[in-house]
Amino acid sequence: MSKLNSYRELEHLHQQLQEKRRNFTTTVMVCGGTGCRASSSQTLINALGEELSRQGLDGSVRLCVTGCHGFCEQGPVMIIEPGNMFYCHVAPEDAFEVIYKTVTKGEVIERLLYRDPISGQTLRTLAEVPFYQAQDRQILSQNLTVDPCSIEDYIAIGGYSALAKTLRSMTPEEVIGEISSSVLRGRGGGGFPTGRKWSQCWAAPGDEKYVICNADEGDPGAYMDRCVLEGNPHLVLEGMMIGAWAVGARKGYIYVRKEYPLAVEHSRIAVQQARELGLLGDNVLGSSFCFDVDIARGGGAFVCGESTALMASVEGKVGEPRPKDVHTVVDGLYHKPTTLNNVETWANVPSIILKGASWFSAKGSRGSKGTKILALTGRIKNTGLVEVEMGTPIRTVVYDIGGGALNGKAVKAVQIGGPSGGCLPAGKFDLPIDFDVLAEAGSMVGSGGMVVMDESSCMVDVTKYFLNFLQDESCGKCVPCRLGVDRMLEIITAITEGRGKPEQLDLLEELADTIAQTSLCGLGKTAPNPMLTTLRYFRTEYEAHINERKCPAGVCKGLITYWIDPDKCNGCGVCLQGCPHKAITGKKQQSHVIDPKLCQKCGICRSECKFDAVQVI
Amino acid sequence: MQQYVNINIDGAIIRAVKGTTVLDTAIEYGICIPHLCHVPFLSDIGACRLCIVEHVVNGHSNITTSCTLNVQESMVIMTNTDRVRKLRHNIAELLVAQAPNSRAIQDIAVRCGVKEVRYPFRNADCVLCGRCVRACSELWKANAKGFVSRGKNRHVDYPFGIRPEFCKQCGACIQLCPMTITPCNGLMKPGEEYLCGQCESQLLTNEQAPGGCVWCKLGEGFACGRYAGSQAK
Repeated sequence: MSKLNSYRELEHLHQQLQEKRRNFTTTVMVCGGTGCRASSSQTLINALGEELSRQGLDGSVRLCVTGCHGFCEQGPVMIIEPGNMFYCHVAPEDAFEVIYKTVTKGEVIERLLYRDPISGQTLRTLAEVPFYQAQDRQILSQNLTVDPCSIEDYIAIGGYSALAKTLRSMTPEEVIGEISSSVLRGRGGGGFPTGRKWSQCWAAPGDEKYVICNADEGDPGAYMDRCVLEGNPHLVLEGMMIGAWAVGARKGYIYVRKEYPLAVEHSRIAVQQARELGLLGDNVLGSSFCFDVDIARGGGAFVCGESTALMASVEGKVGEPRPKDVHTVVDGLYHKPTTLNNVETWANVPSIILKGASWFSAKGSRGSKGTKILALTGRIKNTGLVEVEMGTPIRTVVYDIGGGALNGKAVKAVQIGGPSGGCLPAGKFDLPIDFDVLAEAGSMVGSGGMVVMDESSCMVDVTKYFLNFLQDESCGKCVPCRLGVDRMLEIITAITEGRGKPEQLDLLEELADTIAQTSLCGLGKTAPNPMLTTLRYFRTEYEAHINERKCPAGVCKGLITYWIDPDKCNGCGVCLQGCPHKAITGKKQQSHVIDPKLCQKCGICRSECKFDAVQVI
Repeated sequence: MQQYVNINIDGAIIRAVKGTTVLDTAIEYGICIPHLCHVPFLSDIGACRLCIVEHVVNGHSNITTSCTLNVQESMVIMTNTDRVRKLRHNIAELLVAQAPNSRAIQDIAVRCGVKEVRYPFRNADCVLCGRCVRACSELWKANAKGFVSRGKNRHVDYPFGIRPEFCKQCGACIQLCPMTITPCNGLMKPGEEYLCGQCESQLLTNEQAPGGCVWCKLGEGFACGRYAGSQAK
């Protein structure tokens, strides 16, 4: 394709591509996101391609390998248009049947349809699936129709028209005004108003400015940014271009983790394609706007998601935060004014420009507008990527979309916002997903990871896990974070091993307060949150660990013993064979006994027993 | 020509040289803000967090380190409020529990009012203040040592653990190291660490008084900013 030199040429290309689309009678959209690739969607895609050419349907059927559809639990998933047919768990062997029956004959393959676990009905179309029904997919819906490696796909659905509109008819002040009045807030965690950030950067002195896209997502159980960047890199790129025009930047960076190879590859391809079309480079679309983007790969340090550490890393220095007494909008990358936003924030920009600030601010709650992508994981039926309107109650996300806990257990808590967020108990599930409300409750929206925990999770153990993570990922520069988190972990470990003392709970609270107030960067300042919220909402569990030396959930190995109920045990001997430590004795058909001295509390016998005879006390 | 700004520290209006930090100005005027990683002729990294102060902006007070905060016209700083003292006490407690066998850390603990330590002692050799690393790279441009690894494993080492040729063994790092000063009663045996609290009389002040510098002997050992500054002059 040749370079686009004017808005007219972009418009022409858009029409041309749409015309080309009309030649196709059917589109098969297969998920090629990381989640579905893990369930071998790549083999399925190859099989479908071969099948199409064998049946001579290349010209009339379009096979579109898209980004993540969100329903990773059911992968590999595919949608067939027209008809909005939704197939899940499609194996490579099903390729022939899908093409022959559904694509050419229009028949439905019952066994590939999604079966609703609650009603037991099979559902034909995507729109009927409850997981999708309760969502409001503004950003993720584009993932379904666009091949991330093809700029044509993106232009065909009207991509880059927001950029053209900006360059043709809006001044930087107008763009910033539009973003400000949309009340878009940063999606990376803090929830800082994006419009204010841009206007501060715009007003900052200096000719050389930068924009950065932060795709260094390291929270356990969160992958929103990965899926957006993987599934629709051009959307992020377009957002960055509009932002660069607004603040006056000529250079941008996408900082993406090396652990996301697909996101790195797709964003590289997107930048290359945009350069070829002249959407990046000098005089974009014939305007005075000059802008280019580079990909910076992160080495996998959690702390590099922090703005100053990220900038140090882009500069080639050690990824450590520095004091932010002067904000990065004035003194950022290479000590120049820099606007740094999260992937999802950038992805929201084009539609705000196209549809207007009032369209965006009509959605959401009082302080938080628009939609938010959440990664729903943990002990829940429907794991996957969820996009809901801001202000949606947590209950809707966990029960209506997520389908509740696995194996009929009750949901105990949900951990929102990763290691910086907090655990909210089931009693707080009526709280809306809103920056201010969740912060008040001790948690935060954060980047949007939602880890659901059921009755079998011990909250002290969960806290220990997060503190362990934070202690590992702390850069170690400042004392409160390095030594403080270490001491917190030391105390929590003592509690889980039955060495806790009642006065240590007060010490934990005091220490947490010190860390939150005096740490150098955001990582340290929010590090005590998981501990503080569990202590606030599950204090009885801590007290049970300390006073009664018992773990109510039966998780902490130092405080539990395994025991075989003689009434339930029928002496089948499965546990005896399974025990790797030879701690179980007993004759056939007689009830077995566990020797507590030999037992290593691995839990194998409990999972093997079909009669629920092995119990934890 | 030097430009000046007026700042308010603990209620006193002080004329400060533009471009300097709050900590430098406070030390210049004899206001004692405890500090460890700050050395007058090196850059500031804000690692030890002992020099925290309250910076009041629009009626909202932020806790920030004074060594990295540059003076601005009519800024309001409070160095010795209850809140700051409590936070400083907790940080000093963390430090002294990590390295009880250093006179410098003991002195800081005394200055910050630590009487009893609620954590088990650890007897570490280094508190990662980074004085040696900055002295090596900034004073002598040698870069012979640096920080290695992160989090709990962070430590100071030569490149790949081998002393390079360009280290001239000048000893600047040892000179500045707060860990090389042995406590007055000698090294403590593991398990028998405690703070004797005998130096408290050195403070010549009770906790409620504003933290004025009285040239106490506590800062001399590890070259607190005032001593180091006067030596440089």
